[in-house]
Amino acid sequence: MIAQRAGTTALRRVAAAPSSVFKLATPLAMQTRTFQTDKLTPADASALLAKQRLSRPVSPHLEIYDPKQTWFGGSAWQRITGASFSGALYASAVAYLAAPLVGWHLESSSLIAAAAALPVAVKGGLKFLVAWPFVFHAINGVRHLAFDVGVGFGRSTIIKTGWYFWGASIVGGLYLAFFM
Amino acid sequence: MASIARSSALLKQVAAKQSVAATGLRVAAFHTTSRKSLLPPPPQRIEGTVNDPVHVPPTSPSHGSYHWTFDRVVAAGLIPLTVAPFAAGSLNPTMDAILAATILIHSHTGFGNIIVDYVPQKRVPTARKLFTWGLNAATVLVGLALYEFETTDVGLTETIKRVWKA
Amino acid sequence: MAALRSSSARVLAAASRPAFRPVVAARGMANLADGATHSNHASDGQSPKLKTFQIYRWNPDTPTEKPRMQSYTLDLNKTGPMVLDALVRIKNELDPTLTFRRSCREGICGSCAMNINGTNTLACLCRIPADNSAEMKIYPLPHTYVVKDLVPDLTLFYKQYKSIKPYLQRDTPSPDGKEYRQTKADRKKLDGLYECILCACCSTSCPSYWWNSEEYLGPAILLQSYRWLADSRDERHAQRKDALNNSMSLYRCHTILNCTRTCPKGLNPGLAIANIKKELAF
Repeated sequence: MIAQRAGTTALRRVAAAPSSVFKLATPLAMQTRTFQTDKLTPADASALLAKQRLSRPVSPHLEIYDPKQTWFGGSAWQRITGASFSGALYASAVAYLAAPLVGWHLESSSLIAAAAALPVAVKGGLKFLVAWPFVFHAINGVRHLAFDVGVGFGRSTIIKTGWYFWGASIVGGLYLAFFM
Repeated sequence: MASIARSSALLKQVAAKQSVAATGLRVAAFHTTSRKSLLPPPPQRIEGTVNDPVHVPPTSPSHGSYHWTFDRVVAAGLIPLTVAPFAAGSLNPTMDAILAATILIHSHTGFGNIIVDYVPQKRVPTARKLFTWGLNAATVLVGLALYEFETTDVGLTETIKRVWKA
Repeated sequence: MAALRSSSARVLAAASRPAFRPVVAARGMANLADGATHSNHASDGQSPKLKTFQIYRWNPDTPTEKPRMQSYTLDLNKTGPMVLDALVRIKNELDPTLTFRRSCREGICGSCAMNINGTNTLACLCRIPADNSAEMKIYPLPHTYVVKDLVPDLTLFYKQYKSIKPYLQRDTPSPDGKEYRQTKADRKKLDGLYECILCACCSTSCPSYWWNSEEYLGPAILLQSYRWLADSRDERHAQRKDALNNSMSLYRCHTILNCTRTCPKGLNPGLAIANIKKELAF
């Protein structure tokens, strides 16, 4: 402590007498920089930032986000089921147009005959594969229409109704497939 | 004071590095980024400076509010049209044609939404144009096919019903 | 002057304690499955509650290296209850290179927004589930450009915020020349909107925003937009609506509702967007 104070007093004296020989040993001379900094113009800085941006990765999204929300929230399946049905409609309609040219038989009577020829288990399975997306798209579509008029937005409501609609669509699909 | 603060921070850093090495923290490669995606996000570019707002697109209700409202009206209209054949057992040809037409419109706007979502105008303008006009052409073809089917065959609901009961 | 004094103080201090005393031992290391820590716990009379955190790492200084997941194990007995406490502890005691944003530690600044166990939330409001020993996975906000580790670049987000003119716009002066008054009912319309802290949790939880962030404004900005549409004092409602009335800005919302499910402040961006759509439609 005393040594330190003595040093301070000495320094004060040095500061008071600028002509002193000790001027060379100012504390400034003891400060050394361990790293270098560059002065950049604003334009250079933004160019550097733009260059850094180009190498930035995009953080993971679909693969890490809670699948209960992204995959089972209903909206994704609304699109998947809808696009499947519309895709099937477009494909079969174009096939129906092309049928006479290619020689296929896609009239309703031949379709019915083809369906009747299938084994019962296959028929039931195929019917469920059509019935479930149909019921899901239909009832979840109503849910989305309710959202559009501002109904059902509570946080717990969203989560609960989401699961209810999954359950209802499976039950409805089974009913349509096996009891209709 | 500055110098001692810095040196102690350095010490800490060294100590931490040693402890990391000593305890052998597990480092796993991040697998999911290596997967190839269809339209990977481009490198980050920012238009203008940080203080400029993004460009506000011009107002076009036909792509915005009118389009949205039309979509909802069609979707809501499909509810009674879908319920009717279940309730009545079948549909008369006029109602069946209306159902087919509504489904076609619903499909068309649905596909349109998918294209707007996944084929971005800004990044792939040519593909966007291709998809949009491809969809338009397909919809016309499908409309033609549905007209043929409705006028020459037994109708949409009747066919589905018979295939279902077969 | 300062340098001289402090270095001499250091010399004195060094003399007063054992020269080779390891710094880490004095601070009580957070970790880990080594013998020293176990003996520590034995002296506490508490069994260690170890929890492993897997954290997304990417360093801009080595841009060609792929992002990776790094595991850190902490004893929860010595860690605060929130994920942010764990992150701070990891940075202090295990790995000072770990980078993340934080400021208020009480859910009001929105800095520490990140993806924790699959859902976006604020690290400071997210409890570490102590009842199970499952690993926690921490990522930066999804589908953002990563500056470093858990720090995303939100430049575009802020530029989009600026584009909706988030301030009161009006021409008529107030009747009393003092302040713009509104009824209690009108003021009530702003509840659930003004609380938004722009942490970007909702926007970066939205798949539509992932695919179209260039043009779609995203839930947070649309909620802010509705905050000004719902304000009875604002006189630019028509212009505000016109700015949203195109195919991209608003109508990329498909009511996926990840936004409402993720909001760490309990707000409802999904409902706000539905209200905008209603105002525009009818």
